[in-house]
Amino acid sequence: MAATTEQEQNIGSPAPRRRGPGRIAMAVSFFGELLITAGLVLGLFVVYSLWWTNVVADRAADKQADKVRDAWTERTTGGPGALDTKNGIGFLHVPAMRNGEVLVEKGTSTKILNDGVAGYYTDPVKATLPTTGKTGNFALAAHRDGHGAKFHNIDKVKKGDPIVFETKDAWYVYKVYAVLPETSKYNVEVLGQVPKESGKKKAGHYITLTTCTPVYTSRYRYVVWGELVRTEKVDSERTLPKELR
Amino acid sequence: MYGWIWRHLPGNAWVKAFLSLMLVVAVVYVLFQYVFPWAEPLLPFNDVTVDNQ
Repeated sequence: MAATTEQEQNIGSPAPRRRGPGRIAMAVSFFGELLITAGLVLGLFVVYSLWWTNVVADRAADKQADKVRDAWTERTTGGPGALDTKNGIGFLHVPAMRNGEVLVEKGTSTKILNDGVAGYYTDPVKATLPTTGKTGNFALAAHRDGHGAKFHNIDKVKKGDPIVFETKDAWYVYKVYAVLPETSKYNVEVLGQVPKESGKKKAGHYITLTTCTPVYTSRYRYVVWGELVRTEKVDSERTLPKELR
Repeated sequence: MYGWIWRHLPGNAWVKAFLSLMLVVAVVYVLFQYVFPWAEPLLPFNDVTVDNQ
C-alpha cells in the first residue's frame, strides 16, 4: 500500500494531490478487506470441519481404543469392572465401510461422538447391548463427516453385508437386512426394540446404525439395520471371524 | 485495515513479513482452538442422532 502511493507520487501528476486516498475510498477498501477476511474465515472453517476435527478425533479414539485393548489383555480374570463402559465397550467392524475398527462408547452426546467413536443410544431410546444376551436393538450413531467421520461410507453398506461387534469375549456377527437412505431426524421409531420400519415384527437381536445424510449436512438421517447371525467366542489369538478375513 | 497493520509493524520488510506471518498463525490458532469449536454445535452440519427434540 505504502509503496504504491509513493510510486504515484514519484510519477507525479502535475496538479498537487492530497496525500492518501479519500475518506470514502478508505471506507470502501476497509469494507472490502472485511469481506475478504470473512471469506477466509469461512474457508478455514471448512478446513477445520473436514480435516482438523478428524485429526483430533482420531487421536482421541486411538488413545481410548488402546486403553480398552490394554484393559482386555490385562484383566483376563474378569470380575468386577470387566465391562468398563467408560472407556468403551467394544469395537465395531464394518468391512463395507473400509474404516477398520470403530470404538463403541456409551451415549450419543456431541462430546462423546466428537472423540471419533460410535455411541450407543441411551436417549431417547435405550439400546440393548448384545452382551446382555437379551432380545432388543443395539442402536448406534457416529459422525458422517468430521470428528473421525466413522460412518462416512455408510452408503456403501448393502443388504447382506456383515457388521461385526467385538467385545472382550465374543464376536457378534450381524447381517444387514434393510437400509433406509433417508428419514426425518425425529423418526425415533427406527431405534425401537423391534424396528418395524425395517420390516421386522418379532423380537430379535438387531443392530441399528444411524448417521446424518446427505454428506456434509444434517438434513436427514441414514439408517442401516442388521440382525444377529451368530456369536463366536474369542479365542486366545483373537482370530477374526471369517467375515473380517 | 491490512495496510494499517503493515504500516504499524516495526522493522524492515522482512521483519514485517515475519511478524505478519506470526499474526496469521496466532489468528488461525485462536480460530481452530476456541472460535470454531464454539461455533460448530450452533450450525446444522453434524447432528447424527435421531431424537424427539
